[in-house]
Amino acid sequence: MGELTQLAQAMADLDKNHVIALVENKLKGSIPPLEIVKELNDGMIEIGNRFTACEYYISELIFSSHIYKEVMVFLGPHLSQIELDQKAGTVVIGTVRGDIHDIGKNIVVTLLRNAGFKTIDLGVDVAADKFVEALKETRAKALALSCLLNLAITEMKNVVDALVAAKMRDQIKVVIGGQPIDEKVCEYVGADYYGADAPAGVRICKQIYGQ
Amino acid sequence: MSEEIQQLFEERLARYQATIALEPTDRMVVAGTGSNNFAEIYAGYSRQEIMYDINKWMAAESKFAEDFPQIDLLRAGRIWAPLFEAVGFKLYKLPGRDLPTDIDFQFVEGEWMKPEDYDLLIHNPVEFMMEHRLRRVLGEFKEKGSVRSYMAFLKGGMAFMMMGQLMREKTLNLEKKHGLPVPTQGVMLAPFDVLADGYRGLEGIMIDIFERPEKIMEACSALIPDLVNCALGTADPLKRYPIFMPLHRGNHPFLSPKQFNTFYWPPLFKAISLLIEAGYTVRAYLEGDWTPNWHHWNEFPKGKILCDIDNKADVARAKQEIGGTVCLAGGILDRMFILGTPDEIRTRVRELCETVGKDGGLILNGGCAIPYLTKPENFRAFIDATLEYGKYSETVKPKLKEPPTLPAGGPVPGHPPRVITPWQVRAKELGGVMGDEKLIKEAWEMFERRAFCWLHFWDW
Repeated sequence: MGELTQLAQAMADLDKNHVIALVENKLKGSIPPLEIVKELNDGMIEIGNRFTACEYYISELIFSSHIYKEVMVFLGPHLSQIELDQKAGTVVIGTVRGDIHDIGKNIVVTLLRNAGFKTIDLGVDVAADKFVEALKETRAKALALSCLLNLAITEMKNVVDALVAAKMRDQIKVVIGGQPIDEKVCEYVGADYYGADAPAGVRICKQIYGQ
Repeated sequence: MSEEIQQLFEERLARYQATIALEPTDRMVVAGTGSNNFAEIYAGYSRQEIMYDINKWMAAESKFAEDFPQIDLLRAGRIWAPLFEAVGFKLYKLPGRDLPTDIDFQFVEGEWMKPEDYDLLIHNPVEFMMEHRLRRVLGEFKEKGSVRSYMAFLKGGMAFMMMGQLMREKTLNLEKKHGLPVPTQGVMLAPFDVLADGYRGLEGIMIDIFERPEKIMEACSALIPDLVNCALGTADPLKRYPIFMPLHRGNHPFLSPKQFNTFYWPPLFKAISLLIEAGYTVRAYLEGDWTPNWHHWNEFPKGKILCDIDNKADVARAKQEIGGTVCLAGGILDRMFILGTPDEIRTRVRELCETVGKDGGLILNGGCAIPYLTKPENFRAFIDATLEYGKYSETVKPKLKEPPTLPAGGPVPGHPPRVITPWQVRAKELGGVMGDEKLIKEAWEMFERRAFCWLHFWDW
């Protein structure tokens, strides 16, 4: 990526008031909303990079989402849904059944969106058949399973087994992550990859989509 | 209690105390876990039965103690669901009610305090609780002033006292029948975690860091005296056991080092220091990965803290960096208890005994817990291997610690345990009493103090 624009830089630096003022000015100056979004997204990509480089933390990620949401309150109505669609690939993601924790999943979703992925976030406590259904509907090639609790070890295996039963296993790459997940668990679950942290999960999704 | 059981109890407790104090012991503590989740369901009861039926819970503990008589500690208290039913507490999803009966209870993340409530929390915590927070988190208190809301408070107070009594009975059952000490008694949260967990929620607190940082710092400072006084109100009066502190948002990468050093650590350090000055030790769960932040634990005096190291961090590195100051627990991956074999467990225990734990100061454990899904044969191998490889001395016999005396001026100088209506107000209303005023005052203040703590004790 080249030099950041003033707006992208303000976004990357989490300067909320400056971001809002710049977006308001651009709208008044009839700058196409999609260009404004592109600049904001460049800032979000930089935020993701800084998180990966340990210059930013979850606090900064959450605050960046807050700024983005605030801007979208008045910028969103100027955009069509098609314009907002992301192009890097589609990832179906959720916390598996029995587990209602979503902090880790939400961080991955933020980073994936920042990296240009369309994410189908199924939320928490998601049953295996819901993942299968979403993969069929979206034709996504990547499934990301998240968890905090140990019970997810067996539940993630259930999800992979459900993909096998639906005869979809060879079309889908499964990446898992969360507190109890490591190489051995990945092997037990029958997933393709595990992400030791959120940035690793995003790297794997990029790899799946050949980026 | 038979003399033999009494002796066993004292030996185990003295070993645990000496281990925390980083003093010589005869051997490693066996299964010295704080949260033995496996023990709760080993007897075959569902999570729901354990949380709702105290008799089954007690039977489960006895069964575990009988089947694994070599363990040195067993948890007696945790969450008793009827308390939450009494008031309709919303911050947990419970097995059998909101979740299938064999799924662990879980915390419900959310914004339970508005940003504009900070000033009230700081300056008038009672009004903050009664007018704002409790109406959001206690479903039965939603319509304040209704008959149902009065009943909720009556039921809640009764349930709170009943839970205290039941937990004491369970603790005594383990002590008198099985010679087992408990790993902790009493609980305190980090001031920042109080705000981040059950008040503002994760998103709220992270926004506050950027938009109202001074309010977080003021609120954390304001919370310290009440948190400490209420923790001491539930701690072991004989000071035998550490006070439990589950620590959440000090976990990397939630906060930057600067944010951790600004918001998280100073109030936590102050609060723990007050507990130590009051003669207690602390068992802190460093949940997640505390590696970049754990060097701060070296600021405490040696031998007063036990830190549980979670699976995401390396206990060997913790030993190098903070093991000279605090005792550590951990070292075995949860998945090894769940998916591994007895041989793998033995190998790992041996490795830890010969390296990290060779000079003491280590309690072998999973990541802050023994997992629910542990295979019984793996737990047995864990015990056997600890006994085999965790020996230190044939001659050392740790002695029970004498409880230290409370510092003059109370545990939090200038902040006696809070009451809502002081005795002076009541005494004025009465216009004098005919007998011993002290007796009446003590009764008045006992309930005032306990009722105030009850307002606080929901979210841990």
